[in-house]
Amino acid sequence: MSVHTMLEAVNLSKRYEDGALAVDDVSFSVRPGEIFAMLGGNGAGKTTTINIFLNFLEPTAGEARINGIAAHRAPLEAKRHVAFVSENVMLYPTFTAVQNLDYFARLGGKTQYTADDYRRVLLRVGLQEEAHHKKLKGFSKGMRQKCGIAIAILKDAPAILLDEPTSGLDPKSGFEFMQLLGSLRDEGKAVLMSTHDIFRAKETADTIGIMRQGRLVMQRSRAGLAGEDLERLYMEHMAGVHE
Amino acid sequence: MLATIIVHELKNILFSPKFSVTVAVASVLLLLSVVAGIGQYRAAAAQYETTTQLVQQEMREARGWMALTNKVLRRPDPMQIFVSGVANDVGRLSGVNAFQAVKLSHSTFSDDPVYAVFRFIDLSFIVAVVFSLLAVLFTYDAVNGEKERGTLQLTFANAVPRAQYILGKFAGAWLGLVLPLLVPMLLSLLLLAVTAVPMTAEEWGRTVLLFGGAVLYVTVFVALGILLSTLTPRSSASFLYALVLWVCAVFIVPRAGTTLAGHLVPVPTVAETEARRDAFAKDRWAQYEAQMQSRWKERNAPLEGMTKEEREAYRDEKMWEWMEQDDQDRKQVQTDIDEQARRLTEELRNRRMEQERLAFTLSRLSPASSFQLAAMNLAGTDIALKTRYEDALNGYRTLFNEYKEKKAKESGNSGGFRIEVNSDTGVKIDAGRERGVLDLTGMPQFTHPSPSAAETMRSAFIDLGLLGLFSLAAFAGAFVRFLRYDVR
Ligand SMILES: Nc1ncnc2c1ncn2[C@@H]1O[C@H](COP(=O)(O)OP(=O)(O)OP(=O)(O)O)[C@@H](O)[C@H]1O
Ligand SMILES: [Mg+2]
Repeated sequence: MSVHTMLEAVNLSKRYEDGALAVDDVSFSVRPGEIFAMLGGNGAGKTTTINIFLNFLEPTAGEARINGIAAHRAPLEAKRHVAFVSENVMLYPTFTAVQNLDYFARLGGKTQYTADDYRRVLLRVGLQEEAHHKKLKGFSKGMRQKCGIAIAILKDAPAILLDEPTSGLDPKSGFEFMQLLGSLRDEGKAVLMSTHDIFRAKETADTIGIMRQGRLVMQRSRAGLAGEDLERLYMEHMAGVHE
Repeated sequence: MLATIIVHELKNILFSPKFSVTVAVASVLLLLSVVAGIGQYRAAAAQYETTTQLVQQEMREARGWMALTNKVLRRPDPMQIFVSGVANDVGRLSGVNAFQAVKLSHSTFSDDPVYAVFRFIDLSFIVAVVFSLLAVLFTYDAVNGEKERGTLQLTFANAVPRAQYILGKFAGAWLGLVLPLLVPMLLSLLLLAVTAVPMTAEEWGRTVLLFGGAVLYVTVFVALGILLSTLTPRSSASFLYALVLWVCAVFIVPRAGTTLAGHLVPVPTVAETEARRDAFAKDRWAQYEAQMQSRWKERNAPLEGMTKEEREAYRDEKMWEWMEQDDQDRKQVQTDIDEQARRLTEELRNRRMEQERLAFTLSRLSPASSFQLAAMNLAGTDIALKTRYEDALNGYRTLFNEYKEKKAKESGNSGGFRIEVNSDTGVKIDAGRERGVLDLTGMPQFTHPSPSAAETMRSAFIDLGLLGLFSLAAFAGAFVRFLRYDVR
């Protein structure tokens, strides 16, 4: 394990109680300042992989490490170094955006934030100012997603896990979101993201992995993809052409 | 961390739109019930005073010592303000005299049946029914609701220990539900002090314990709600379970326990017992009559062959002896009948106590029963209220009758009519009223029974202890369950 690895899957496998092998001997690593995008069809095992990093699931074999710490061995220690954005987080509908942010910031151990900090981060993720003190029950899915991203930013962790973060965003917001992710990478964050958005993944990610039936069937750096048609590659992998 | 979670959970409950329209209304209802209770207590106390004075008046104007009948009223108890218990079902008035057994009649509900239809809404009812419902309604989705909103994942993406989280959730929800209970309870204490309801130090103490019991009871339901929310992955399911659990705990189990006990330990009805008592009395009097007849024959036997003068002389000589003997026998009959009545009552009571014990044991499966039993014990409006009064009345009846007899002897009249025929004064009928009014000085006064403090505490602590155990068990269940809960 190099010091430069922030997120690392080592021969990771997960077999559910019902016998389904959701993750099958997957290995990859994400360094600080790198975005790793996981592509793959429905049920490929992306969410399962992320859940093992968060210790929501125990691996059947192998390890998921955050900053060198195996998530299932020292979960509390490991989670200090990671922020998480899930696919569809509703947050607390009777709390305002700022109240939601404040609660999760505190859970993440950040008690020093001021009202101005919350305002700035919400503006950074693109939530218009008049919504900052509105209750979340009136928010659209995309607005909630922006709050979720703001929460992840506020945690200021060296690693960020995102499970289909752009799924609720309109095209403009999706674009802005990818820009934001780029700036986080430039700040030195290690980003692991699952997505179905091949186009955006290609635009932003430093490394692209394709999962199929639990296995990481392709893993290439941006340089390695130069001149390749990612969409075609993806389709071929889905069809099992390269096996 | 723990403080953050507690404060968040508390805010989550306090700021929820459901909160103001339900919990706040319940708080106001609680306070109103105390206000109404104070009003009712004051009215009852005033009625008690006037009726007691009327009874005194009536007694002074009684026909004579032997005809003297006292009426004892059950004194209203300020603790009824919170827990009416059986206070409205048990009769408030009993005659005390030599001829009748004591029997409490004229209960509030028999005098005003309209109240019996819906019962009184008192603090213990509101806590037992309304606050328990609110407690489960605000906690049934404590954990699985967070899972559905995705906030559980988001929470545990942080370095949050599960034990702290579930503890914080419990503490926050508990505060959110106990505060709206504590505020009106404290206000009602203030109200009692301001309106100068006469309460002894012991009664204040009992009230505080009662309020503590209410808090403990709500705690049980908070813990149960959280337990349910960790047992089911969907809040729609736990909502249903919570309602079923609440209905069973508050309505089904207490009643089922009592009904089951009724079948397992049948108790003869009061009518049956009274019929047995009356039959015995009839038999005993018939026996007495037969005895009198044979004795009459015996007494008249030696008269055969005497002259008229001799007979007169013999009769005059024996008269006192005979009268004393007859009187003694008559008294013996009455004693026998009283003794039999006492035995029957005791038998009935023992049987009933056995049934009660079983009913209580069974119904204590529900925390609602434990709370109600504790509340009634602490308020002295428990099931034993009637027997307590009956025992006190029986004791008093003995004293009162002794006093009456003594007074009657002193005044030299038996209370009946006395007809004197005198050649000088003519016929004089004495109805036993030498003076205009009877002088009742020295008459024993009825002491109102109150449950012994030791006994009250003993039975209250059983139930409060059970509530504590319930809360602990439910929370321990939720805690253990949550340590392995799937947050995805
Ligand atoms: N709790 C579970 N129990 C059993 N099998 C599960 C469970 N969760 C997921 N699976 C199975 O594991 C496999 C991987 O699921 P996963 O959710 O990781 O896929 P995914 O790549 O995130 O898919 P999607 O793009 O649809 O989100 C699927 O075959 C799924 O049916
Ligand atoms: Mg998924």
